[in-house]
Amino acid sequence: MKIIRRALRLRSTRVALGLLTVIAFLAAFGSATAPYDPVHQDVAHLLAGPSGGHWLGTDYLGRDVLSRLMAGTRLSVLSALEAVVVGLAIGATTGLASVFLGRTFDYLSNRVNDTLMTLPTIVFAVAVTAVLGNRLVQAMFAVGVLLAPMFFRVTRAATLQYAQAQYVEVADLLGASRAHVIRVHVLRKVMPTVAVTAASAAAAALLTVSSLTFLGIGVVPPAPTWGGVLSSDLAYLSLAPWAPIAPAAMIMITVGALNTLADSIRDSSRADLDAVPALSTITDVNSEYGHAYGTPHADHPAA
Amino acid sequence: MAVTVEAVRPGGGLVTARPRAGSATARRLGRWAAIYVPVVVASTFVTFLLGSLSNANPAASVLGDNATPQDIVRINHVLGLDQPLLVQYGRWVSRALQGDLGVSYFTQIPVSTSIGQRLPVDLSLAVLAISLALLVGGATGALAAVRSGSWIDRGVTWVCSAGSTVPAFVVGIGLVVVFSVTFKLLPSSGYVGLTDDPVGWLEHIALPAVALSIEPGIWVARQLRTALVDVLDQNYVTGAVVRGLSGRRILFVHALRNAAGPAITVLGYYVPVIIGGTVVTETVFSLPGLGQLVLNSATSRDVPVVQGILLVTSALVIASNLFVNAALGWLRPGVNR
Amino acid sequence: MPTAPLMPTTLRPDVQAVTTTEVLAIEDLQVSVHNSRLGAVLGASLTVARGESVGLVGESGSGKTLTCRAALGVLGPGCAIESGTVRFAGQDVTRLDAKAWEAIRGQRVGAVFQDPTSYLNPSITVGRQLAEVVRIKLGLPRRQAKAKAIELFEAVGLQAKVYGQLPVELSGGMLQRVMIAIAVSCDPELLVADEATTALDVTIQAEIIELILRLRDERGLAVLFVSHDLAVIAELCDRVVVFYAGEVVETGPTAQILASPRHPYTQALLKVASLGDYGRRQLDVIPGQPPSVGAQISGCRFADRCAFALDACREAPVAVREVDGREVRCLRAEELAS
Repeated sequence: MKIIRRALRLRSTRVALGLLTVIAFLAAFGSATAPYDPVHQDVAHLLAGPSGGHWLGTDYLGRDVLSRLMAGTRLSVLSALEAVVVGLAIGATTGLASVFLGRTFDYLSNRVNDTLMTLPTIVFAVAVTAVLGNRLVQAMFAVGVLLAPMFFRVTRAATLQYAQAQYVEVADLLGASRAHVIRVHVLRKVMPTVAVTAASAAAAALLTVSSLTFLGIGVVPPAPTWGGVLSSDLAYLSLAPWAPIAPAAMIMITVGALNTLADSIRDSSRADLDAVPALSTITDVNSEYGHAYGTPHADHPAA
Repeated sequence: MAVTVEAVRPGGGLVTARPRAGSATARRLGRWAAIYVPVVVASTFVTFLLGSLSNANPAASVLGDNATPQDIVRINHVLGLDQPLLVQYGRWVSRALQGDLGVSYFTQIPVSTSIGQRLPVDLSLAVLAISLALLVGGATGALAAVRSGSWIDRGVTWVCSAGSTVPAFVVGIGLVVVFSVTFKLLPSSGYVGLTDDPVGWLEHIALPAVALSIEPGIWVARQLRTALVDVLDQNYVTGAVVRGLSGRRILFVHALRNAAGPAITVLGYYVPVIIGGTVVTETVFSLPGLGQLVLNSATSRDVPVVQGILLVTSALVIASNLFVNAALGWLRPGVNR
Repeated sequence: MPTAPLMPTTLRPDVQAVTTTEVLAIEDLQVSVHNSRLGAVLGASLTVARGESVGLVGESGSGKTLTCRAALGVLGPGCAIESGTVRFAGQDVTRLDAKAWEAIRGQRVGAVFQDPTSYLNPSITVGRQLAEVVRIKLGLPRRQAKAKAIELFEAVGLQAKVYGQLPVELSGGMLQRVMIAIAVSCDPELLVADEATTALDVTIQAEIIELILRLRDERGLAVLFVSHDLAVIAELCDRVVVFYAGEVVETGPTAQILASPRHPYTQALLKVASLGDYGRRQLDVIPGQPPSVGAQISGCRFADRCAFALDACREAPVAVREVDGREVRCLRAEELAS
């Protein structure tokens, strides 16, 4: 689509995609390509600083930090992806449907949406693990459910905008079926907005994964995760104050790349609509609640 | 020549100065109730449900592994767990409305007491963090808007983008590294009550509050900047200039009033989050807050405590929502009339 | 139509003794726009005396709005005064700083614009916005400010209960009265009205014009009235200044100019806008287009559309000359009596 082409022309997009490709590679092959076994303990070098042998040093058990981070990428990335997929599946479809399935459904879906927005993320995730099992899969499913409102609001607003457009009326008049109208006209226009939200949601989900693994939820030690590495760093902060930099950097770079991607997709799709460049906000679409300038995501990932 | 009725307006009908009707308020109240009441009910039911579902074997939690089948039946009856779910929910809600949130399975301490003990910690955090976010974020956003397009504006945008990539607890760890470990200026953990020792209170609460203020602060700056840039472009700002009002007055009395809405909405969103949901920051700083309590209780299946805290958090969200709506209505009365 | 400016019926005790009765004197004003050297106003000169109402008339883009904005010091972003002077009651305000302008605006000069709805803060009641000006500019305590505001509303023909209304609750005509009340609240020496009646119904227009005239007579206001509508200018203004393509082409007493215009553009204007005919007031039947803003033209800027143009007209810039009791920028002014 021309939006993708236009986005790719921006340098920021290319940098972001490059970084994300590296992350994706690490997610797939991190454990295999890591210089050391992530759980191997080199007791001779505990809490060592960066050196030729260990580029990012070692942790309190002598394990190579770089290897742990590389191996930990998969869990963090896949979990975040899981949450985004869940959120999108639930939120976007409901948002789309709420416009076409009548007033009762609209009312109900909005109230469910509001309810989800009242639930605090981490606590809800933990409560769900208490019910469904203490693994990251269940926790991130819960996070995904709480990401759904973000998709719901954005999809609903975008659909409202386009569903009322004249060409939809015309298509309807010409006898096109409801499904056809939705698929051809509305979906195509709503897609960029959903893409932007997906990128932002992925960033939020990643921050949440980091928080959850930091708390030790859903992780079976000694499996490495970014948040888990941070957590062990915290305990030994006085001995190795530089240690948190590496995992923090990984989180920040990935989140930053996702946010940049979201911004550039949005800027590329906005160029048609109006000439005013958008400020870097996470969500942008007018919601029916009158928040004309965008609001933060429905959940609060990292507190 | 007094005029009460103007002639027909182009494109409009007869126009009179409209009197304020009481029935309009009643209608608005009705609309509000139709939205909020179901949400409150659903929210409380979900929290209740979560608690109940996680309750695999409460008798084992309370009595330990040596519970006999008779003990289990007895405990279940005492706890009211042999009743149908809706009845349990009803009882729980009615008790909650009277302030009785039940008793912890393990410590036998009333949930409301536990919450009451820990609330001051989170309230301290919230007050400080929100104030910081408002002041620093607001000033930055306003400055960026007034100097729109300049290097200050671009710098602020860049800082906001960079800042949004860092989770609060990472900021917290960073602050601990700098202020506690390296320079030994501030403590890295624990909490001291405000009434016990004001200075100690501030020392202990400063770093976590700063860490928590980053995210809302960034949002406030962004929202205010966007809104203010738009407002400063409006004709009524020119009108105020032409009336000879000072720049400061125009900004604070006229412009901010119309631009503050989104920023205040954002802050309202963060208040309940900071009070009830900052599990991770409390962990980093070892603060005895609600977040820690709910985490420990959820892990150990102490259901009444989890239910109680989730209820309080939901109530806070709704209260905060109400408050924000009231504030918005006060700032911009013209929007809904 | 009076041929001499009215004398004020009330005298202002606080007015400094000035050597001239000219409240506003603009001399050879050049204004550029869009951060460029494009001249949108090229050497405009006009004066407004106390108790006199002067009309600026011309098409959009002719420079009349920019001239009136320059008189207020509110040229928009990208616009600048390149040369010339603007004098307000003898004081040179051409390059005045913001602080000094604050003292003058609202108190010694008031302004009314085209769309009153957009020039008032939509979130504050009109009463409080008026009281704010009175309180800050005149230093009145709150209760007195409110009383004065209500008094002012009644003076412009509004009921006292308007005080507690938001702008969105009032009609265009009522809001324009509010704006006028605010503009004259501190008894200014000059009232600037930029297309003040353009967005209003014909009947409301008449009421607003009557209001402005009454205020002018009661308070000795000098009025600078900008409009593209000749009929309104005819009713309201003692003297008229005709703008074309950034220049003043004719200036003089309204009655005279309407009766016998000397500049070909003014003549064409009058032919096109049949006064008294409610239907046609557009200035669109003169063949051709006005030159684009800042276009460099040697000679007369109307020559391309002028039925009477000579070669001499295009050679050198035409100066303003005094002809038959008015000032005209035309080489053939004497011959072109209509």
